[in-house]
Amino acid sequence: MNNLTQYSELIWNGTLETLYMVGVSLFFAVIIGLPLGILIVITRKDHIAPCQFIYRILDTIINIGRSIPFIILMVAIIPFTRKLVGSSIGTTAAIVPLAVAAIPFVGRVVESAMLEISPGVIEAARSMGATPLQIIMKVLLPEALPGLILGITLTAINLIGYSAMAGAIGGGGLGDIAIRYGYQRFRVTVMIATVVVLVLLVDIIQWIGNKIAAYYDHR
Amino acid sequence: MIEIRGLYKNYITAQGSLTALSNINLNIKEGEIYGIIGPSGAGKSTMIRTLNLLEVPDRGSIMINGEEITALNKKELRERRKKIGMIFQHFNLLSSRTVRGNISFPMEIAGVPDAEREEKVEKLMELVGLSDRADHYPSELSGGQKQRVGIARALSNDPEILLSDEATSSLDPESTDSILKLLKKIRDELNLTIVLITHEMDVIKKVCDRVAVMEEGQIVEEGKVIDIFVNPQQPVTRRFIKTVIDYNLPEGLNITQKGRLVRVSFKGESTHKPLISLLIKKYNIDANILYGKIDEIQGIPFGTLILDLEGSDESIDEALEFIGQLGLAVEVLTDEQSNSI
Repeated sequence: MNNLTQYSELIWNGTLETLYMVGVSLFFAVIIGLPLGILIVITRKDHIAPCQFIYRILDTIINIGRSIPFIILMVAIIPFTRKLVGSSIGTTAAIVPLAVAAIPFVGRVVESAMLEISPGVIEAARSMGATPLQIIMKVLLPEALPGLILGITLTAINLIGYSAMAGAIGGGGLGDIAIRYGYQRFRVTVMIATVVVLVLLVDIIQWIGNKIAAYYDHR
Repeated sequence: MIEIRGLYKNYITAQGSLTALSNINLNIKEGEIYGIIGPSGAGKSTMIRTLNLLEVPDRGSIMINGEEITALNKKELRERRKKIGMIFQHFNLLSSRTVRGNISFPMEIAGVPDAEREEKVEKLMELVGLSDRADHYPSELSGGQKQRVGIARALSNDPEILLSDEATSSLDPESTDSILKLLKKIRDELNLTIVLITHEMDVIKKVCDRVAVMEEGQIVEEGKVIDIFVNPQQPVTRRFIKTVIDYNLPEGLNITQKGRLVRVSFKGESTHKPLISLLIKKYNIDANILYGKIDEIQGIPFGTLILDLEGSDESIDEALEFIGQLGLAVEVLTDEQSNSI
């Protein structure tokens, strides 16, 4: 218990760093991933703006983005990170690769949520003379909302996992603490404490996500 | 109101080219309820979707109110669609919106001001009898209620035409009847033109003024519903009529093969003529009634009789000719038919 008190500030700071990295990277991942997901849905064959060319390109980009291991992606985009935030190490610098890794993930999540919508509902909107933009804003987004919320929750939880690797570029956070103190210095208590905090964090995020999704789900 | 000329549509599938519509010609008048019936795969679903260009035909012309809709650009087409309401078999309501929100939806798309929209929604909910369900979500409604929302939604932009795509096919018989009554009511009150497709002859019988029978992408028979019922020409039409008026004779029934088995259909005034007694008196034959039913189609009495006529071939021939002269439709059922039709 003493050890835990001794390290509590460390873990508290780590928690804040993790939340900061995950929160900001999730924000950017959604900002970019959502339009990406919408685009890959509507350019499908038989959807509201079919375009094989765009669909294929986006599909390929997403697949490539998702198949690169995070640790490699993080190192590979260091020049890009440096340009964007002025540094390639530190918590803020870790946000860039986290967001980049999450964008294609969000894209797929958005895609699968929107493909759940019955084609008949979209056809009905077309039969009323809706423009593609109206269909996106008034049909696709509101109808997919519960699925989108669950998908974003899933992304947040995945980002917590990825953020553990951010320690490799001095990003800090709970995962970094677990590796440096718990693994490398054999501070088992610290390791257990960080794991407990991570479990709680994931649990709370999932719980909140489920609640919000259920609130909007009238299916 | 709607004039269709030489409509063709092919689908390219993995198995090759599939003809969905082949040389379709139709005239649909203002204020009528026009039914299109056909077995699944006959092309009726494609047919109705060409009327608001959800399906674009390969060839042919579709004039609505004198306007060639296949020639419209995207923007003009969207405007046109606002005046063509459509209802669907699976309702296709937005699950994220309440009854009120769903009915309001097409008006939002059309940019109707808030106040006007709210007023219209109230009116429409009253028209379809759902005022007490205004804030319910579709998942909380029965199938019949969902279709009422669908109808109110389709009417919200004051359409001239209502397209009904198997609107009652996933409803129980009671809801089907109430939806069909509602369709009739709105046609009468709003003078809408309704085009509906169905695979249920009962729907045609209950609400349609005219009907087209489709098979393999073609219209094989077309006319007033009563005429089609009295005197069907095509086997597919007969099959459909049989689903409503079942004159199948029980297999165990031993029909003496001395005479001839005939089906006599009659409508309107001729239902009042004492046919059987005339036959017996005039032609010296015996008429054995195996089946009889009087029904009503669009307010016109309509009857079917299955008779086993016994007598000499000659007198039976004469008798049949006489029935024809009375303006009744006669169909001789061969041995084969009597079992299989």
